[in-house]
Amino acid sequence: MNARIPILKLGDTLIVSIQWELDDQTALQFQEDLLAKMHETATRGVVIDLTSIDLIDSFIAKVLGDVISMTGLMGAKVVITGIQPAVAITLIELGIRLGNVLTALDLENGLDKLRKELEV
Amino acid sequence: MEHRSSVDIYTEWDIVAARQLGRNEAKKSGFGTVDQARITTAISELARNIYLYAEEGKIEITNVIEDGLIGIRIIATDSGPGIPDVRRVMEDGFSTSGGLGAGIPGVKRLMDEFKIETELGVGTLVTAIKWLR
Amino acid sequence: MNKQMVKGINQNVDEIIGRWQLSMREEQDERFFQFMPSDLVDKTSRVFAELMTSNIAESDVVNREKLNEFTERVVRFGWSIKFVNKAIDNFSDIVFQILEAKEIITNDNLRAYLDIYTNWIPPLRESIIEAYSTEYERTIDLQKIALQELSASLIPVFDKISVMPLVGTIDTERAKLIMENLLEGVVKQQAEVVLLDITGVPVVDTMVAHHIIQAADAVRLIGAKCMLVGIRPEIAQTIVTLGIHLHEFTTTSTLQRGMQEALMLTNRKIVEVDKE
Repeated sequence: MNARIPILKLGDTLIVSIQWELDDQTALQFQEDLLAKMHETATRGVVIDLTSIDLIDSFIAKVLGDVISMTGLMGAKVVITGIQPAVAITLIELGIRLGNVLTALDLENGLDKLRKELEV
Repeated sequence: MEHRSSVDIYTEWDIVAARQLGRNEAKKSGFGTVDQARITTAISELARNIYLYAEEGKIEITNVIEDGLIGIRIIATDSGPGIPDVRRVMEDGFSTSGGLGAGIPGVKRLMDEFKIETELGVGTLVTAIKWLR
Repeated sequence: MNKQMVKGINQNVDEIIGRWQLSMREEQDERFFQFMPSDLVDKTSRVFAELMTSNIAESDVVNREKLNEFTERVVRFGWSIKFVNKAIDNFSDIVFQILEAKEIITNDNLRAYLDIYTNWIPPLRESIIEAYSTEYERTIDLQKIALQELSASLIPVFDKISVMPLVGTIDTERAKLIMENLLEGVVKQQAEVVLLDITGVPVVDTMVAHHIIQAADAVRLIGAKCMLVGIRPEIAQTIVTLGIHLHEFTTTSTLQRGMQEALMLTNRKIVEVDKE
């Protein structure tokens, strides 16, 4: 059950679609895998799609926030896509704002947004 | 007519088990997707606190009916070290574990009723209820 | 004794109704007796008197069926609860005065009259109050539902741009509903920009502002942009005076200006076309 989250490369972009509920180990493993993959390929942008995720608690939120900060340090931009309304409401009520995160409605919009961000 | 189920928390995996139980119970009681997420997230936070600070404990989920209202009660118990300063853990952003410090005050905001009882060296008991609107 | 009383009332019913009407006309708050045509007033008064009389039980126990009938019909008159109460009071007072004058009630049977009175007037009053409060509760419930229905629908205006007009006071319960409708609407309509129009919100205090900020934050998380429009001068003043920080998201005074900005954000503009 401790499967790794697949990270796909598309040009200079990495695409991650998280398909099942994250447990703590998988989340931490993902953080490591993503950074390693960014290092070995010349990644400029990452899109993380959370459409299938129906729960983000403060731990997962922290891991996500950390991933975004770390990616930024490595010179790439992250767009989070497909956060479900229920998840967004829960995060806000928990007091987690994820203030500096780029977001988009779905993967397609996310890739668009990333492209625009990287053009500037 | 109270239906009660519980999950013992020893490992990280039990956190996932507890929130899955919570989601199922919330769905069965007729809660909408947003309230399901609230209840499940609250359980996740409480279970993680047990795992991080007390090492072992229990999450108990009960269907409650009170004054014609239907709800779900979460009881998190542990026999851990207890909380030295309850007021501080209720503050946003206070964390001793390197987390976001959203856990306990966050749970209070997610649920409708919230109560925390703790005694140093004895353990902690958190009761939280969400009512069906 | 009951029978005697009923007989006494029926014999003097015209006088009772006449005096009762006179006393009720003095009630300033109730428009019924002042504006209704007099034949209708007469008819209603007679029905009321009949209902009142029919509830003097033949035995000493309270007749539930008759009581329910009384309540049901009196509620239908559409009088205020205060007025109905007064009507019952005045009616029983006048009946007492007249029956005493006609020597149907005397010093000797005063005790028996009291017993009848106890089984007659207080149950009527209780029943009426209960019926009215049930009616009020029902009305309040219905209004609550109506309010929920009319509150907070997200309207797609252009491709990628939606508007949610907020009307009325925002409490915690409504704020939650607004947030859910807003987010689910954004996902369904694939909106990139949503305009929250608060023109119809009478008061923006810290609590309301807090809810609006939360909603805007949640909209950002799911991948759209939330703008706050319709900020009237007095709202701007209270927001600043209360020290609420809204500078993290775009705000405009009117929906029109907000719409222009929303179009700009989605790389579009409205152009006038020359007529050939």
